[in-house]
Amino acid sequence: QLPLSLLNAAQNKPMLVELKNGETFNGHLVNCDNFMNITLREVYQTNADGDRFWKLKECYIRGSTIKYLRVPDTLLDAVKEEQNKAREAGRSARGAHVSGAGNRGV
Amino acid sequence: MASLQGYVDHRVLLILQDGRAIVGVMAGYDQKSNVVLSDTKERVYSMEEGVEEIPLGLYLVKGDQIVLIAELDDALDQSVDLSTIRAEPLPPIRY
Repeated sequence: QLPLSLLNAAQNKPMLVELKNGETFNGHLVNCDNFMNITLREVYQTNADGDRFWKLKECYIRGSTIKYLRVPDTLLDAVKEEQNKAREAGRSARGAHVSGAGNRGV
Repeated sequence: MASLQGYVDHRVLLILQDGRAIVGVMAGYDQKSNVVLSDTKERVYSMEEGVEEIPLGLYLVKGDQIVLIAELDDALDQSVDLSTIRAEPLPPIRY
């Protein structure tokens, strides 16, 4: 689940998206879904040959057309930190439950 | 059953459908083989000059674009002098 968590954590962050046809989109992530469809704002679009440019206020990109995404390096640490915190929280909550149930049996 | 779990936190080589070779540490993956690579570098092979390594940072690669994922032997990889390697670049996949 890391790829989608990373994408969700990237909201409002700048990123580069390359499509299967070689076009590139540079912009800030507004939103994303489980299919990796995304909306970007303040987008600079470049065609595959790199010789034509467009500026778009907002755009929607279908996940199935994406080849890859480049995101800021700092994002990975942020996501791992969040996953660790979630795991710690889950473990301590579950620990309390288990010990309570065991004592009642004895 | 093929699982990518064994490759997590290892340095891997990814080959994409457009013939690109990408090297990075696999931070994570999902059921559709989408892969998160950190400290990514693209390796461009050529017959005239040695291998060019382009640093690319944090990458999310779509699973449907991936052809091959290979675990890199770090010791073996360090011992190779990339400037001496001459090779034809991989062509993109043609259906």
